[in-house]
Amino acid sequence: MNIEKKQSGTTLTVTVSGRLDTMTAPALEQELKNDFPGLSQLVLDFQNLEYISSAGLRVLLGAHKAMKGNLVIKHPNEALMEVFDITGFADILTIE
Amino acid sequence: MGTILLRMLGAMLLPVLLCVLFYQAEKNKRYAALPFMVKQVIIGIAFGIAASLATEFGVPVKGATLNVRDAAPLAAGLVFGWPSGLIAGLIGGIERWFAVLWGAGEYTRLACTLGTILSGIIGASVRQFMLDNKKASWFYGLAVGITVEVLHMLLVFLTHVDELHKAFEVVMVCALPMVAANSISTMLCILAVVALSKRREPNNHEVRKIAQSFQRWLLVCVMLAFLITSAFTSFLQSRLADSTVNDTLRLNLEDVKEEIRTASDKHLLELTRQIAGELEGGSQLALTALADKYNVSEINLVNAEGIITASTYSGFVGYNMADGIQSRAFLPLLAGSVQVVQRYQPTSSDSSISRKYAGVPLSEGGFVQVGYDAQSFQRDISEQVVTAAKNRHIGQEGCIIICDESGTIVSDRDGHEGEQISVLGYASTENVEEFVTFRSPIYGVSSYCMFTQTEGYYIIAVLSVSEAQFSRNVAVYIQAFMETIVFATLFAQVYFLIKKLVVENIQKVNDSLAQITGGNLNVTVNVRSNEEFASLSDDINTTVDTLKHYIDEAAARIDRELEFARKIQHAALPSVFPPYPMRKDFSIYASMDTAKEVGGDFYDFYMLGEEKLAFLIADVSGKGIPAAMFMMTSKTLIKGLAETGLEVNDIFTQANAKLCQGNDAEMFVTAWMGILDLKTGLLQYANAGHNPPAIRGADGGYTFLKSRPNLVLAGMDGVRYRKNELQLHPGDQLFLYTDGVTESQNPRQELWGDDRLLMSLNENPGLPVEALCKKVKADVDAFAGEADQFDDITMLSVRLNSLPE
Repeated sequence: MNIEKKQSGTTLTVTVSGRLDTMTAPALEQELKNDFPGLSQLVLDFQNLEYISSAGLRVLLGAHKAMKGNLVIKHPNEALMEVFDITGFADILTIE
Repeated sequence: MGTILLRMLGAMLLPVLLCVLFYQAEKNKRYAALPFMVKQVIIGIAFGIAASLATEFGVPVKGATLNVRDAAPLAAGLVFGWPSGLIAGLIGGIERWFAVLWGAGEYTRLACTLGTILSGIIGASVRQFMLDNKKASWFYGLAVGITVEVLHMLLVFLTHVDELHKAFEVVMVCALPMVAANSISTMLCILAVVALSKRREPNNHEVRKIAQSFQRWLLVCVMLAFLITSAFTSFLQSRLADSTVNDTLRLNLEDVKEEIRTASDKHLLELTRQIAGELEGGSQLALTALADKYNVSEINLVNAEGIITASTYSGFVGYNMADGIQSRAFLPLLAGSVQVVQRYQPTSSDSSISRKYAGVPLSEGGFVQVGYDAQSFQRDISEQVVTAAKNRHIGQEGCIIICDESGTIVSDRDGHEGEQISVLGYASTENVEEFVTFRSPIYGVSSYCMFTQTEGYYIIAVLSVSEAQFSRNVAVYIQAFMETIVFATLFAQVYFLIKKLVVENIQKVNDSLAQITGGNLNVTVNVRSNEEFASLSDDINTTVDTLKHYIDEAAARIDRELEFARKIQHAALPSVFPPYPMRKDFSIYASMDTAKEVGGDFYDFYMLGEEKLAFLIADVSGKGIPAAMFMMTSKTLIKGLAETGLEVNDIFTQANAKLCQGNDAEMFVTAWMGILDLKTGLLQYANAGHNPPAIRGADGGYTFLKSRPNLVLAGMDGVRYRKNELQLHPGDQLFLYTDGVTESQNPRQELWGDDRLLMSLNENPGLPVEALCKKVKADVDAFAGEADQFDDITMLSVRLNSLPE
């Protein structure tokens, strides 16, 4: 997994690539945790994310709660979208 | 002088310019892409040309040529790499050899050629062997520059051992400016590159290595030792030189003094004997006439009692020789001495008159005493005096000057006889004592002088300061040169020793430690080259062993606890099949194969009254004890809610609300739950983010039962779950599973997937519940092969066999 951050104003765009699974999810969680205060919007760009496990979903859920809904998921691939659909995450997340 | 400085400065800055140029060239993609050796050759040639240019633009000073040739090869080696240093050194050296053909100095041809080649070799070696092929620091440039130039100077000596004097004169002129120019130029080269690299990599806060700190301190110590010993040597040699000058001047003065006195004594005795001969021969001449004839000032005849009986001065007659200190010295003539001669001194009778006296006994008793004044004897012995001064050399250029009491030169090196001593530039000696060295210009050269007086003469010994200090300077220079080389060698030796004994061993220990911290606790540290490291190795190994023991123990304990947790988890799931042997209208089977780690999967089923069968499958996110505990909570909660008779969607809605409370660990559960009305065949189900089950009609194949799922349980408070309905007919069969099934991996890390699951189900769609689950499990196992499974594999299958009529 690779994490790239780009901040403009109070919007933080985090581009995550690779696999977001049990092994890598804690790293992303740690990264985001430090950034939540002071953000008005968090954008997670999943264009190059290949896989997300339940541990990854847990991080998204945490981020969704911490951002009080101001979380946008961008460019998930089909497999990811399917996961979001199956788990019902598609209902609560803003996915673009 | 200005142009000289300018040319030196130009030659000094040329290598700096090249360094900047080649360093910046790395930014050019085409240049940077060239192979290492090609770049090295290019750099070597460029710096070789710079060295050659330095030769051609050398500055001639006092017969020697100052140049900054050695800096270029040195900088190439230190900054860019050993091949470029060697190449530049060879080019510069060989060009210097042939440069003699078009005007370069012949005298230092060999020394300069070797010196330049050596500078390339040294630059290359220092980088390769001492700096681990990394760029040098500026103080290295300075130190190596000094060392190389000192070697160069020593080479001048070595190539001219038979004429050290001249060689030294060349070195005296060249040494300081060349050592300074070359070392500073090398230093500037490195500083320039360091400045550029800092700009390129601005955040370069790396912690200094042991070797580097050590090098710094060693260098400081060596420099300090060098300065102290040099100052000490210089001081000692100066004192030694002073004392040598004193001794040389004094010995020469005493020699000349003795020579003049002997000549004068001999001459006066000769005269006295002749006069005695005339008197004994019965000469009729009066004493005054006799004195005139022999050109002496005074003749006294003394009887056996020591009383003057006759004299050229009538006033002396009757004087008792025993009455004066000076005259008393002649009395031994009455007791048998054959001759007495005195030095030029004031007389006993009149201390304002200085005379030299000699006496010889007369055969009839008594003696004759002859007195002589300065003018007379100086005239008579002038030839000996002149020769005494002319024949004497002090050192190479030093000499003796003799003048009379009035300061008129009697004899000197360059033929100034008759002139006043002051024309030579000689300072007054009024305040100076005899035999004390003082400085005065003589013949226009600052010189050490010492004087003495004898027989009415001033004898001055002269030695030029430069000559007097020459040997001292030779000693000091050679000492300084030798110390530079000795300390440089010492520095290198100690550095290598430390590197061998400490740094390399630390590296070895670190390598082993890196493997250990990387997880391989079976690696042992084994550095036994000295006692300290052997003991360190043993300590580390013991620590690791102890650690390993604890880890094994802890792992065993955790394993036991996990095993226990797994047992509890399994015990909570219905595991007796068939569970309702009396019911023939439906059949149900479920299985859970836990992965090595305790997971959060579970299934459950129970009768709600006589007519409804509830069944669910769920997967808690995460693994381990927390997941297992969350699973137990969820399972109990759902069952409790189900037993109150709630509809399936309300069960989920309420379970979700309860699970969300105090869910600090942010865990969640995906779950699929169905409640089948066994009377009507109506299946009501809800899906909280779980994989869709597969369903088979009485005679068809399996397809996924897609329904729009709601969010996982415990994901977010306030979610309202939807209820879906499906009418089942006898023979319809459902297959529920967790993602452990579809996400099983084979050794190539491929997932089993939905398609393979459907294929597996449809190979024999008519299989009853238990056989179906076992078949899927067998297919998954066959697919996974040797690959480890990280997730629980949980399945549940329900078949509606019949409906009441």
